[in-house]
Amino acid sequence: MQRRSLLIASATGLALATPLTTWATASVGQPAPGFTLTDTAGKSVRLADFKGRAVVLEWNNPGCPFVRKHYQGNMQALQKEAAAQGVVWLAINSTETASGDYLSPAQLARWMQDKQAAPTATLMDEDGTAGRAYGARVTPHMYIVSAQGVLVYAGGIDSIPSARVDDIAKATNYVRQALAEIKAGKPVSVATSQAYGCSVKYKS
Amino acid sequence: MGQNLAKPVVTTPEVRAELMAHAPQGVPTGAGADKASGQPVWVGLQLAHQPHWHTYWKNSGDSGLPTELQWTLPAGVLAGDIDWPVPKKIPIGNLANYGYEGTVLLPVPLTITPDFKPPVGSDTLDVRLKAAWLVCRQECIPQEGEFALRIPLRGSTALNGAVFDAALAARPRPVMGPVGGVRPDSQVRIDGDALAVSVQGLPVALRGKTLDFFPETPEVIATAAAWTQAWNGGEWTARVPLSPQRANSPSVLPVVLAADGQGWRAELKVLGTWPAVAAPATVSPALEAALQANAANRAPPAPPAASGSWLAALLGALVGGLILNLMPCVFPVLAIKVLGFAQHGGDRRAHRLAGLAYTAGVVLSFVALGALLLALRAAGESLGWGFQLQNPAVVAGLAALFTVIGLNLAGVFEFGSVLPSSVASLQARHPVADSFLTGVLAVAVASPCTAPFMGASLGFAVGLPAAQALSVFAAIGLGLALPYLAASFLPAVARALPRPGAWMDTFRRLMAFPMFATVVWLVWVLGQQAGIDGAGALLALLVALSFVIWSLTLGGRTRTVMTSVSIASFVLLTLGIGQNVIKLAEPASSVAASTARWAPWAPGEVDKRLAAGQPVFVDFTAAWCVTCQYNKKTTLADAGLLAEFDAKKVQLLRADWTRRDPAITAALAQLGRNGVPVYVLYAAGKPPVVLSEILSVSEVRAALAGL
Repeated sequence: MQRRSLLIASATGLALATPLTTWATASVGQPAPGFTLTDTAGKSVRLADFKGRAVVLEWNNPGCPFVRKHYQGNMQALQKEAAAQGVVWLAINSTETASGDYLSPAQLARWMQDKQAAPTATLMDEDGTAGRAYGARVTPHMYIVSAQGVLVYAGGIDSIPSARVDDIAKATNYVRQALAEIKAGKPVSVATSQAYGCSVKYKS
Repeated sequence: MGQNLAKPVVTTPEVRAELMAHAPQGVPTGAGADKASGQPVWVGLQLAHQPHWHTYWKNSGDSGLPTELQWTLPAGVLAGDIDWPVPKKIPIGNLANYGYEGTVLLPVPLTITPDFKPPVGSDTLDVRLKAAWLVCRQECIPQEGEFALRIPLRGSTALNGAVFDAALAARPRPVMGPVGGVRPDSQVRIDGDALAVSVQGLPVALRGKTLDFFPETPEVIATAAAWTQAWNGGEWTARVPLSPQRANSPSVLPVVLAADGQGWRAELKVLGTWPAVAAPATVSPALEAALQANAANRAPPAPPAASGSWLAALLGALVGGLILNLMPCVFPVLAIKVLGFAQHGGDRRAHRLAGLAYTAGVVLSFVALGALLLALRAAGESLGWGFQLQNPAVVAGLAALFTVIGLNLAGVFEFGSVLPSSVASLQARHPVADSFLTGVLAVAVASPCTAPFMGASLGFAVGLPAAQALSVFAAIGLGLALPYLAASFLPAVARALPRPGAWMDTFRRLMAFPMFATVVWLVWVLGQQAGIDGAGALLALLVALSFVIWSLTLGGRTRTVMTSVSIASFVLLTLGIGQNVIKLAEPASSVAASTARWAPWAPGEVDKRLAAGQPVFVDFTAAWCVTCQYNKKTTLADAGLLAEFDAKKVQLLRADWTRRDPAITAALAQLGRNGVPVYVLYAAGKPPVVLSEILSVSEVRAALAGL
């Protein structure tokens, strides 16, 4: 009797949970989910606009110490390297408007400018649709979409999960490594890694 | 004194952190430390969080970082790992973390070794700690603190006893292990995009309760996703979805299960293959390219284009066959050949005839064995060179044959007195036939070994059209026979031998010992395949066989009686225990089974380790391959080399081909090989390096230097 009710409970649990879990569908090796978002200047940007070029997606939130750790120069350097290789860089902020970390498009643009960041575009995702489609869990959570539109990397920016700036020099930067491999026409050797950082402040 | 600046407490707006100690019996020092194993010294960091704030467990879940403790301790005092208390699942919207709210103590055991000598005049154990934790509510704040504490050596430190007792009482307890096959192992099976968890040995009182589930390995499961659980008698089962962006693929998944604040820890063996996170990305690109190139080599190429490489394979086979004479496999036959030379003395014609006959025997046997191999492969069998020794019946047969030869050389019997006269006189009248048969024997024992050059040629040959493939086998045979053929045609060789005389009989008896040594090796091989019962049965049968042979040398009425008795006992033994010889034992007893250093090879294992950034060295071996065993005991046992493997963090894998294993046959084929030994060093981003069959320490070193 007890087992039966447990089974029923678990079945209902599964049914209830299904809508929750469907967001995490982006998988490495599969086509990257498309999205249309507005940049900090109010212009509409589609992932499909960049078909034929590799695209780096960076989940961003200036309120997160892990983001600030990498914005002391590391992230900007990587953005400039990507630009030099003709790689598109989209910084996406999925922080909900009710969160204490929320920055308006103008504030976010200002922060990026202050930091001399060089993404192709900085995109607003207050509803979290793009973030959920990619299963972005933390800031900074990093993704690379190949020129063929396939997700080829998902994970952390580097190999040492910490908030210490000193660790950046010691770590292997998986995004840099993956971009170099893509440029050389090779498959990405480390295609997933531990994404570390603060939770993305999604709208519930 | 800088030490005085650091205090046991660090307070931030979010957390009050305190370094605590628990040493109710004081701190044992000097000789006392030996006797003090039952009186542990504990230290720990207590984190008291403000409401809504939390820090993290060893697996922090979807975000966050585990708290890190770095200890500075006097010489002779060692800190253990954090004895993590049972965490809480903290959901944050559609994400989830594993961590602690409220007040938690992270206890760490200190080991006081006899080397611990407090400085003169000091009666405290000075503990310094640098801790880093990430404290989060919605927002996250990374924080650090430096702590110092002096624990009195004599006298009790038990002020925080209640806190430590509570933390230690609440730490996860190990589940009961499997009981001699009665209770199955706790395990986790990979089932599509989910884990099917089965945990045994949980306390009876838990049955029917809903448990929390915490995997210790991060980045494996979808932490926040819905999962199901059920009790099945004493077995707790769960189905937990995998993360679609999984970054870890462990072979053992340690988990903590919890109910009502109490936890149980189990190390779950992972069964099944982790789904590829990214199909093209798990193999390094260069390895992929090298494997493709190898695979392309194996495909039957168009005849005109192939002729060049076929000739190269022929040449390689010839050279390989020549070198085969130097391999340990062939030693026993070498002994027979030297004996043959001595017996023919100065008769040059006899030498030439014997040389030619031996060559014919070797070449034809190689071709026959090659044809059998190709035919069986064509019939869909997954076989490779040396396949016949994967069959215990063949091994047992060879052991019997070598016993008979050994007894003959030792002078127990002459063929003339045992065999019907028509057969016996064959040997006497036809030394040519005798030489031919020696050639067949040479191939029978030599075949389990592959020599340098020969391995690549054989691997290439099995993909060629039959006629060309057989020519490669013939070339190996020719190479093997060539030294004797040449020697038999050079008068100088025969002249160099001493005159026939009494020494020949002594020499012949001496040669019995290599034969018996071969029998020992074959019995050992059979032991690997059929277990101790099989090896024992084979030895018993060999004794019975020797008894039969000895009884045949007797004369008159005794012969009749003894022969009847011996044959009857042989038959009875065969019926009684012969079955054990050919029965394959459980592979667990295998010679190449994993040791602490060597993990067993499994399909996909290399890719998995490479994906984790670890270089991999694979030893493709078999018990029946003497060269393999020689390399294993020499080069691969070299302490300096093993230290170098450790320094480069190379994962050592052993693929045991003693029995038939289609997966290993396929892996060999990927490397363009068809026999053992094969030694390969894989590194991410580089083509695999296949080392030579006679492995030298310097060669492995050179390959490791290239990492």
